[in-house]
Amino acid sequence: MNLPTLESINLLAVLPVLIVFGWTLVLLVIDLFIPSGRKYWTAWLGILGLLGAAVALAVRFIDARGAAVTAFDGMLTVDGFSLFLQAIFILTAVIGILLALDFLPRHKIERGEYYILLLFTTGGMMIMSMAADLIVVFLALELLSIPLYILTGFARPRADSEEAAMKYFLLGAFASGFLVFGIALTYGGTGTTSLVGVFNQLAEGEPSRDLALVGMALILVGFGFKVAAVPFHMWTPDVYQGAPTPVTAFMSVGAKAGGFAALMRILIVAMPAVGEAWGMLVAILAMLTMILGNVVAIAQRNIKRMLAYSSIAHAGYILVAVSAAQRPEDAPLAVSAAIFYLLTYAFTNLGAFGVVLAVEREDGSGNLLEDFAGLGRSKPVLAAIMTLFMLSLTGMPVSAGLVGKFFVFQAAINASVGNPWILAAAIVGIVTSVISAFYYIRIILIMYMQEGEPQVVLKPALTVALALTALATLILGIIPAPVFQLAKDALLTLVG
Amino acid sequence: MSLTPLHAIFALMSLFTVGGAVGVVLNRNLIYAAMYLVLSLFGIAGLFILLEAPFLAAVQILVYVGAISVLITITVMVTRCVFCKEPPPRQLTLVAVMAALVMVTLGFVIMTRFGGLTPAADVPADSIEQLGVAFVNPQAYLVPFEVASILLLGALIGAIFIARDDLPRDEEAVGGDDHA
Repeated sequence: MNLPTLESINLLAVLPVLIVFGWTLVLLVIDLFIPSGRKYWTAWLGILGLLGAAVALAVRFIDARGAAVTAFDGMLTVDGFSLFLQAIFILTAVIGILLALDFLPRHKIERGEYYILLLFTTGGMMIMSMAADLIVVFLALELLSIPLYILTGFARPRADSEEAAMKYFLLGAFASGFLVFGIALTYGGTGTTSLVGVFNQLAEGEPSRDLALVGMALILVGFGFKVAAVPFHMWTPDVYQGAPTPVTAFMSVGAKAGGFAALMRILIVAMPAVGEAWGMLVAILAMLTMILGNVVAIAQRNIKRMLAYSSIAHAGYILVAVSAAQRPEDAPLAVSAAIFYLLTYAFTNLGAFGVVLAVEREDGSGNLLEDFAGLGRSKPVLAAIMTLFMLSLTGMPVSAGLVGKFFVFQAAINASVGNPWILAAAIVGIVTSVISAFYYIRIILIMYMQEGEPQVVLKPALTVALALTALATLILGIIPAPVFQLAKDALLTLVG
Repeated sequence: MSLTPLHAIFALMSLFTVGGAVGVVLNRNLIYAAMYLVLSLFGIAGLFILLEAPFLAAVQILVYVGAISVLITITVMVTRCVFCKEPPPRQLTLVAVMAALVMVTLGFVIMTRFGGLTPAADVPADSIEQLGVAFVNPQAYLVPFEVASILLLGALIGAIFIARDDLPRDEEAVGGDDHA
């Protein structure tokens, strides 16, 4: 038996995720000694651990200069793509904790497990972005999902929270079944679960290709559920509405980015040989997702439900970028557009949910669109920030959303030469963006034009989170070039 | 191709597996459905033995036929209505059509395209030992093993959180309000 060498294990390359897991395990013990009522210590210690992971990530980034390495003999790939996404996950987790800090005690559900579970699912997402083996993909997806199911039900015994958790769990388990079946068929066709092995096998022969093709379709179903793509979106509105709002904010960004991370790595790295097939499928999914998400969002009266449909719609835009990556020569631009979009969406959506949190009342009401009436007069700064987020979600100028959409459509039009599906998806994307302006701008109108007395609770942690997200949304909108250059350098690579 | 006793055993085990699964789906009585599930899981254990994977067969019996079926039976017994017949779910036709479509597609692909069937290599005598080493070998399955460990820990914490009934959410929890 060959003894493993330190180089082949490469612990340093995966240090960020090791810090997250290790620190969470320590925190689990520390949490026992923190008296209930002072659980904000757990939260701040959790943020400390995440900052530690962020430092390790930055060191790794400066060290590696985009060079891709594998860890644990090809089980994990640490490339620019995974580093970029891990940065998104850590950021999302920090803001997710900040959003929860005041919310949990106000709603009398403050418990240390909240932060522990949130850190576990963050670690799962980080593994997702690195997974270079289908078994790791599956386990990381479960590690991402199971804590989220519990967090969704964290406001128990509130009935809507319990119902949301139950729905999410049952449908999520069902979707995982599809994913495992897809992985099994891919394995049956290629005889390997390693993405490099799948790539090599698919490049070779016909019989394995057809089997892996069906496997790919089933894997697409599994991830379609996670990223809330139509027609696998049924759970989204109920779960987003029922879950405690900080959880909704965190999962609308984190779970989506995690799902896209693994989906892109599997499709683009391992399956370019069947790129034409999945490119078409993903483009169709993208069109359905954008149309349904944006049209149904118009009819919503509850802001969490509206943002749920908006989240479905945004999954559609990212799917456009994924479909544009079907040819290897178009892939780098499309991938960088997708991950840049994920970053802009992360800031904007976390911020929008932050405002929703501030307006929400202790009894769980205050989520209707009418509850925002008068915000422009009573809290002008908060209303201005919300306006910025809504404009960014629409894709209006001077906001991150516009830049994200621009890069996605640019990548799609670049890749659409000779491929009508991608062109169609890009056109549908532009048309639905215009439709989406209707329901985003409606909120702005309600805030400024209607009379009302919104009850706003704005505590320091939430203020910090809002300031961070608003600033990032603005900066990414005005000077996107440096960050987009980072996304461009964040290559998705096949190593092993 | 001559028929051997192995073929007969394979046919029997397949019958258990598939027949049991059909029984689970078609039976409206939850207890019967649970029993059919046990039969199906038992058939899978038999198939593992035919594939010369005795360890997996033992795990299948211990975990699925043993523990999980007991769990399912207990769960069924605490549901509201054990022996009454549930009304048929809505949209049954649509679901049946979709399921049939998926089955035909998958069946067609697997039947026609499973071209590269090669006889498996001989199972090594120390397969269990190799499996054990592979789980903790950084060059093999250490990462999945560790991720699974953390996953189980997370699930454990979650299960305890959901099952606990004495949440201290009155006076102390309110005290957390004034930190900000």
